[in-house]
Amino acid sequence: MEHSTLGKDTPQVNARAKVLGRAQYAGDIKLPGMLHAKVLRSPYPHAKIVRIDTSAAAALPGVMSVLTGDDCPKSLWGGHHKERSILARDVVRFAGEEVVAIAAVSEEIARDALDLIRVEYDELPALFSPQESLTAGASNIHTGRNNIAHAIAFDKGDVDAGFSQSHLVFEQTYSTHPQYPGYLEPMATLAHIDVDGRLEVWASTQSAFLARARLASALELPVSQIRFHQATTGGGFGGKIIEDANSLVAGLLALKSRKPVRLVNTRLEDFQAACSSLPEQITLKIGMSRDGIILAKEVRIVADCGAYSGLCSEIMHVSAMRSDNMHRLSNIRCHATLAYTHNPPHGAFRGFGGSQMLFALNSHLDTMATKLGLDVVDVHLKNAIERGEVSAHGWVIGSTGLKECIAQCVESVPRARGESEAGDKKRRGWGMATAMHVSGNRTIGNWDGSTVVLKFHEDGRVLIHSGEADMGQGAATMLSQIVAHELTIPLVNVHVVAPDTDISPFCLGALASRVTIAGGNAAIVAASAAREKLLRFGAELLKVPLEQLELANGMVRSKTDPTLSKTIGELAKLHIWREGGEGIQAQGSWDAKTTMHNNLKGNVASAYSFAAQAVEVEVDTETGQVVVTKSFVSDDCGKALNPMAVHGQSNGAAAQAIGWTLYENLLIESGRLTNMDFADYTMPTADALPRLASGIVESNDPNGPYGAKGASETAILPGAPAIANAVFNAIGIRITELPITPEKVLAALRARADQMESARG
Amino acid sequence: MVDFDFLEPQTVAHASQLLAQYGEDARLIAGGTALILALRQRMLQPRQLISLTKIEKLRGITVDNAGTLRIGALTRHSEVGASETVRAHHPVLAGLARVLANPQVRNQGTFGGNLCYADPATDPPGCLLALEASITLESQHGERTLPIADFLVDYFTTAIEQDEILVAINVPASKANSNALYTRHLRTAAEHRPLVNFTSIVECEGPLCIDARIVTAASTITPVRCTQAESLLRGKTITPELVDAAAQLVETQISPISDSRGTDDYRRHIAGVVAQRNLRKAFGLENA
Repeated sequence: MEHSTLGKDTPQVNARAKVLGRAQYAGDIKLPGMLHAKVLRSPYPHAKIVRIDTSAAAALPGVMSVLTGDDCPKSLWGGHHKERSILARDVVRFAGEEVVAIAAVSEEIARDALDLIRVEYDELPALFSPQESLTAGASNIHTGRNNIAHAIAFDKGDVDAGFSQSHLVFEQTYSTHPQYPGYLEPMATLAHIDVDGRLEVWASTQSAFLARARLASALELPVSQIRFHQATTGGGFGGKIIEDANSLVAGLLALKSRKPVRLVNTRLEDFQAACSSLPEQITLKIGMSRDGIILAKEVRIVADCGAYSGLCSEIMHVSAMRSDNMHRLSNIRCHATLAYTHNPPHGAFRGFGGSQMLFALNSHLDTMATKLGLDVVDVHLKNAIERGEVSAHGWVIGSTGLKECIAQCVESVPRARGESEAGDKKRRGWGMATAMHVSGNRTIGNWDGSTVVLKFHEDGRVLIHSGEADMGQGAATMLSQIVAHELTIPLVNVHVVAPDTDISPFCLGALASRVTIAGGNAAIVAASAAREKLLRFGAELLKVPLEQLELANGMVRSKTDPTLSKTIGELAKLHIWREGGEGIQAQGSWDAKTTMHNNLKGNVASAYSFAAQAVEVEVDTETGQVVVTKSFVSDDCGKALNPMAVHGQSNGAAAQAIGWTLYENLLIESGRLTNMDFADYTMPTADALPRLASGIVESNDPNGPYGAKGASETAILPGAPAIANAVFNAIGIRITELPITPEKVLAALRARADQMESARG
Repeated sequence: MVDFDFLEPQTVAHASQLLAQYGEDARLIAGGTALILALRQRMLQPRQLISLTKIEKLRGITVDNAGTLRIGALTRHSEVGASETVRAHHPVLAGLARVLANPQVRNQGTFGGNLCYADPATDPPGCLLALEASITLESQHGERTLPIADFLVDYFTTAIEQDEILVAINVPASKANSNALYTRHLRTAAEHRPLVNFTSIVECEGPLCIDARIVTAASTITPVRCTQAESLLRGKTITPELVDAAAQLVETQISPISDSRGTDDYRRHIAGVVAQRNLRKAFGLENA
């Protein structure tokens, strides 16, 4: 096992290609005769399209294709609801909606042509909040349906009895704001019609197969008529699953123009095209015993999906249910409503609805612990679900390291409080929060598995075919590590083939933190099958009984006589020669032993990840500024196959959570985004962050590959409430509406001062 | 970005002549940190870009016999920050240049370009006003010098004529016993532009304030010399109460901008806090 990298810090296998500029992103790829696409978007949040005059644009030399909603197939696209045309037809429902698509011989000509299009709109009244759109008599945003995109309700145990037995019942409403995914690479697609007339696509995506299925359905083509490649992908964070129109517009233009067409969003366009995370208003009511045990919980959620619901139904499901499973609960009631509005669509974002609810829940537990005079850490520990338990929603907890995560955080960030060294105007505070996430999620087609195919070159090196996506999180490295480990060969002797729907086995892709558990397990199964083939063929060649052979150091050898051996390379070559040209190939599939939700109950994931975070903040009471001075995230990822990657994910998650909580704020005025660039939408840069630290807890899940669970989504979840709790600890002010801005902190401090003043007076 | 001719004159006179020749179709480019963004978004579509990088006269940092520091307009922020000459004569300017914007802008943007852009949300103008700096403008017809206060006219507007080029920034020698202090406040740590900044140059004899020049900027359309607060401080014995009263005057004297980065009320409040903190430190009342 000298070559094995499992459990060791391992640089990403594709890092070199990226830093040397060799990696090919969709926006780098060129084809002869390629056209450049641009999209004209609606300036109105709600308007009737009266007429579109594209004649001047079409007449501009160099313009090859101008498409409107009339050129789109009748089929609509979407997540739970198929409700969106590739280009708007008759009506626009949000400012930024795609109205006209242009392909021209250069990007500049395409851009020039945009200015020549005349669209006559008849502006209509718009609804900008669920409060407005859910009011009786509000006009329907989608014809023939009311404005409720989705609703969830459940009532388990006896909630009212639980409240009446409680020593403290506390209710509070929280609200969360949308976050732009902020990946380095804006969305990009290159599409063309290949020599056989099929549509071939390269795109930045988290799932080549889901992207292909959606494209096929939207363009009314059989899936087999599309070849979808995942180009090198510069980050996704949930935004590149299937909610953006980029590959649909490029595909439609290629189909109509019969030319290669590339559509690369500028950052400004990407802000309009990408879904930001789902804003939710959450009302929590929790009853607790005197010693902090949760006796009853009632949740009400109103979420704003914007004009199109995308994956928001599933996201709200997660908000409504997931965090219930981290506690031992009997009495829970929930009512959640997803409302359409004329805001830009919201959608999937790292954490998938977990961040919103965990902000509310952790803030709430902190408040209740204070009210009961308890240590919040004890409240988390007392209610934490244990290994072997089944949660209220039927989740089977095969492993949990939550208590160890909490312990690491408490040890790593001391509970400092009070005046800062920087003077009496600045106050320090400490806060912590906990989180739970899934590793996989059985929701699509009642399966949640993966397939890996291994193909041996005649020199013994191995190609890994998997459709699971690496969008920067490290899937290719993880698959390489596992296959190399299982076949006892060096990491450099394996190579992951980028997802290509013609070649790769079918996969769901990078979502629900499922790639390590599903893809990793499939890689073990495939490698075992390969090992079996190698050993059998070795037995034949070496004339040694199978049971006396082993695979070690990249060779099949006799356990008793090491001189009797064949390297994998020799075996791979001889297999072709001796078996009529058949090279060594092996395939392995693995499916999660989980169940679909039935009546909102069922063990949906193979394993559940946990995390905790502690932070120290400094609050400037004169300027309202909050600075995170210390942060420690601890992630129970089951087993860290690559600790370097896990730490990278945890620290990146902490940065993104700090950004959401303190810095990033999409300004949407009357349905229009107004800060669509990084000068005004301020994601944290290195100087806006403390020295980030993270720890790993290895709870060794029985279902995980070598015990591993998903890492990285869980780590983003506790950041916001940890900061909010630390702000409360520092200045006694509870911020319930994100983001925590200096203006809000100042206003709250002033309001309290006024109150004290009038109490004194 | 629309195609343009890229012209590289070697003298100020030639550059000025090109500006006169092409008129509104032409734009000067120095570091390009602001201009390129505008070109990419097609907010500007010049037919000619006149690069200043080949004009040697716009470079260099020197000190004349009177002790006036001359910073060539093309000097990058990082060069101002690293310059031994600037550090020796006006450490406050060097310090400011080392924290301005972000490393990318400091390594690419120029001191002159910053002033010509006249964006209020930046660092140098307020500090230069407090230092009583002037700028030298030159065209094919000659040269003129303007106090910085006369140069900065309005929001993104300067007194530069169509065919003029900013050649240098001149900062007079500071008095031996005066102390300059620059303070900037970012709304959050993720911002790269100051919400408010404040410069004080004070001259004291023991507890007595002989003279004070104070300027608040970034939250006002152009930097504001706080003359009322200066008068209040001048000739007085410094006490915490006096400093607080001066800061209060700063807060009430200004008419702040109100935009998505901060309302006028919020900016006014922060301007007061920053003024108070700066002045307390400047007069040695506290370290923070």
